[in-house]
Amino acid sequence: MINIQDIRDTARDMLAKGEVRTVIGYRRGSRGMPAEPAFITSPEQADELIWDPTCYHNLSLYLVHDQKILAHLRKASGSPIAIVAKGCDARSIVVLLQEHYFKREDVYIIGVSCEGTGVLDERKLASQLNGVQPTLAAFDGDDYVFTTAEGEKRLPAREVMADRCLECRIPFPKEHNVVFGEDKTGRQLAEPFAALTRFEAQGTGERWDIWSHHFDRCMRCFACRSVCPMCYCDECVVDSITFPVTQQTSAAEKADRVRWIERSAMRSENITYLLTRAMHLAGRCTDCGECERACPVNIPIRMLNNKMEREAREKFGYEPGASIGGSSLVASFLDNDPGDFIR
Amino acid sequence: MTKKRTGVFVCHCGTNIAATVDVARVAKEMAGEDSVAFTKEYVYMCSEPGQESVVQAIKDNKLDSIVVTCCSPNLHEKTFRDNAKRAGINNFTCEIANIREQCSWVHNDKAKGTEKAIKISRSVVRRVNRNQPLESIAVNVTRRAMVIGGGIAGIQAALDIANAGVEVVLVEKQATIGGRMLQLSETFPTLDCSQCVLSPKMVELKRHPKVKLMTYSEVQELAGSVGNFRVKILKKPTFVDPDKCKLCDECTAVCPVVVPNEYEINLTTRRAIYIPYAQSIPASYTLDESTCLGLNPVVCGKCKDVCEADAINYDMRPETVTEDVGAIVVATGFDLYDQANMPEMGGGKVEDVLDGLQFERLCSASGATGGHILRPSDHKEPKNVVFIQCVGSRDPAKHCAYCSKICCMYTAKHAQLYKHHVPDGRAYVFYIDIRSGGKGYEEFVQRTMEDNDTLYLRGRVSRLYRHNGKVRVLGTDTLSGQNVEIDADMVVLALAMVPSKGTTEIAKILKIGRDKDGFLAEAHPKLRPVESVTGGIYLAGAAQAPKDIPETVAQAGAAAAKVIALLSQSTLSRPPLIAKVRPSHCTGCGMCVDACPFLAIRLENGKAIVNEALCEGCGSCSATCLRAAIDVKNVTQLQIFEMIEACLA
Repeated sequence: MINIQDIRDTARDMLAKGEVRTVIGYRRGSRGMPAEPAFITSPEQADELIWDPTCYHNLSLYLVHDQKILAHLRKASGSPIAIVAKGCDARSIVVLLQEHYFKREDVYIIGVSCEGTGVLDERKLASQLNGVQPTLAAFDGDDYVFTTAEGEKRLPAREVMADRCLECRIPFPKEHNVVFGEDKTGRQLAEPFAALTRFEAQGTGERWDIWSHHFDRCMRCFACRSVCPMCYCDECVVDSITFPVTQQTSAAEKADRVRWIERSAMRSENITYLLTRAMHLAGRCTDCGECERACPVNIPIRMLNNKMEREAREKFGYEPGASIGGSSLVASFLDNDPGDFIR
Repeated sequence: MTKKRTGVFVCHCGTNIAATVDVARVAKEMAGEDSVAFTKEYVYMCSEPGQESVVQAIKDNKLDSIVVTCCSPNLHEKTFRDNAKRAGINNFTCEIANIREQCSWVHNDKAKGTEKAIKISRSVVRRVNRNQPLESIAVNVTRRAMVIGGGIAGIQAALDIANAGVEVVLVEKQATIGGRMLQLSETFPTLDCSQCVLSPKMVELKRHPKVKLMTYSEVQELAGSVGNFRVKILKKPTFVDPDKCKLCDECTAVCPVVVPNEYEINLTTRRAIYIPYAQSIPASYTLDESTCLGLNPVVCGKCKDVCEADAINYDMRPETVTEDVGAIVVATGFDLYDQANMPEMGGGKVEDVLDGLQFERLCSASGATGGHILRPSDHKEPKNVVFIQCVGSRDPAKHCAYCSKICCMYTAKHAQLYKHHVPDGRAYVFYIDIRSGGKGYEEFVQRTMEDNDTLYLRGRVSRLYRHNGKVRVLGTDTLSGQNVEIDADMVVLALAMVPSKGTTEIAKILKIGRDKDGFLAEAHPKLRPVESVTGGIYLAGAAQAPKDIPETVAQAGAAAAKVIALLSQSTLSRPPLIAKVRPSHCTGCGMCVDACPFLAIRLENGKAIVNEALCEGCGSCSATCLRAAIDVKNVTQLQIFEMIEACLA
């Protein structure tokens, strides 16, 4: 069990000593139970930090934002940022480091182990609580304890946990500066890729029907892209202008923009968007699941990313976010790579 | 962008294209393209009149770019780019649309074939629309060559190159040059002694002022490209100074370590300190570090004590040497297919079942038995010997699919040699068919059958095993339709030639392709048989495909000629179709750096930078970049996009 006081003490201490300029963590949210990202800049604020099953967010996103803001202000990074990171979040940071997005010394990772649980799936919870609104969620061993108007309600975490957490085998941030909680790497609450496996058991026709249904509903709000730390490109290919316009951009270049994908939210364009995104996340997505959680129309986006993840693992033994130094999936070539598809 | 004036030239290629594609319609459709100012169709565009008409049309119509829709750019891209240049326009504004290999040859339906040809042609017209005029990049040439592998192929290639006055570095893994040929006894079809014809070449190579010989050395790393390679070589320590060594052999007499002798294919043993053969070059001993008791006078040190010449030095260390060369010949040779893969042939575990090379050593005067054919188990003269052809070859289901090519001939030779050594012995040969194409080869096989009284049985052997001190061979004679059972004193397997272990390793290091069987891949099976797919790297000998000595020598000579021709130029012109970074879009993620097979990209101040001398324009970087920050010139994203659009329209 993690004692929240440990995280608070670490944050307070680092801020007091001036070792970090900000601590990114979680605090009580403004809309009831769920936590929200917190940016703590003074030692006195450290007590705002919390750690509970609603700490969904992959906060490494804000490290990306920080870099973008610094670039915009033409400022050097100065002292590092401390960040509270779960296993998957820490792996995202590793991918960002692998891609030289910032330097290891720019970030101080306060690792938190999800131990035997993970984050909550609010939809699963809603069906369990029959309309009762919880105001607070807390970890208690392998259970979650919810505070509701009708008193305390205890549920086994497995029944209301997010799918991605059930399938996660490495609920521990291997890359960290300090870490809290027990390392339960190798735990298996559900088969990895269980949803994908179930989905793939169906015929081509059924699968196409399901995806057509989802692709039709995508309204291209780009919440998935906005919430993803890996979607850090200055200009996304789907913005259909491809190249950011800078002072060096010539008139010819502006005229020569490639329109790979139309902006309109039509099935064909939505397919191209979602599949391109999946491709661009191959070997980079650490399955933090934020894209799927953020989707307002419940498109199972994780399944696309999972598909790439499983291919990479099975065919190339590649685990995203495993090491900072290794080359990324699409840029590495091994002599024993299966090349049979090419013949 | 000002509008281009493109000329489109549609080739019939006789009926090669015209039979499946309505060429007139392709030309007509292309005329409808905005940028196209001229179209023409002709029966053979690559013929002299065809080429002249292209040049004339460019001049007459003030064309600034051309598209030739014909065969693969592998064949005539250069022809037509040269023509463009002749006509006074930039050669890189000429592109080929391949409507033969990628269209007419693979389709039967003329209507659909024509549609596809139109799409292919249109996409290339759109691409050319955005082609930039480019100038070739001139690079200096390092006038030195490297030959990897010191067998007959490597020796011949090195000698031919050196005799043209070009310095050659020959790198050999083993302690001596000579390779497989030095292990052979006599050679078909003339039965001249292998070592006798090879050793003069070895001596010539050793003494050649233009040859730098590096034995007991391995290539570790390759950088650079055609004209300018940088090769890292590991020189393993032999612990013996060849200049001091007097070949007295005292050291082997005192060495207490006995290990199988790989140079005698494990028929005999050697000591930890050894010389492979009497004819070894360099003529010196080698101390095998992996079996020596410890390179330390405290542990053993007997050889050092006994060496009067003081040639043994335990302090030698591995050395890494860097050599700059302009061209490389790979001649890393073959191994035999592993008997362990063939349980039906005893899996290498049945006594007196030998492979072809072991039999060569038995026949060889310098071999373990002093040139007497004695079977290993009891050192008696075998009176019944069964030779089995096609062992592991021509067996796509279980082993190698290909024909190993030389086994028919060397089996016939083995049978003859056996009969010469043991005139009262009986030789049987199991064969599938006899492939004896070659000068004097068929006559040689006939002599084996008739003059040397060898019994040829057409059929495969199903099993062999030890039985009463002999090897029982169960087979079929398909001509008489009977099962055959022979109790043989010795069995010799004509195992398939496979690429040597070194070949597999070197292909990875040099990043040159291999074919489905693991042999080194040639750039074109007919027209570029001695060139690898990588510029400046050439192939010779059995590393490329199974072949006999005359063929190997011929290929080595051909590879040498290619090297000499390449290195006779003072500068090389490299195509300017290389990668270009848009720094404003580069986030410095470094994926392209990892993806580049030519080590041509590095990160500097958080941005990717392309080394123009190394980039081959393969496009791996462009395909890897998620941000479209790196493009290959004249194959930009926008061009690809418009090509796709043209195909889908």
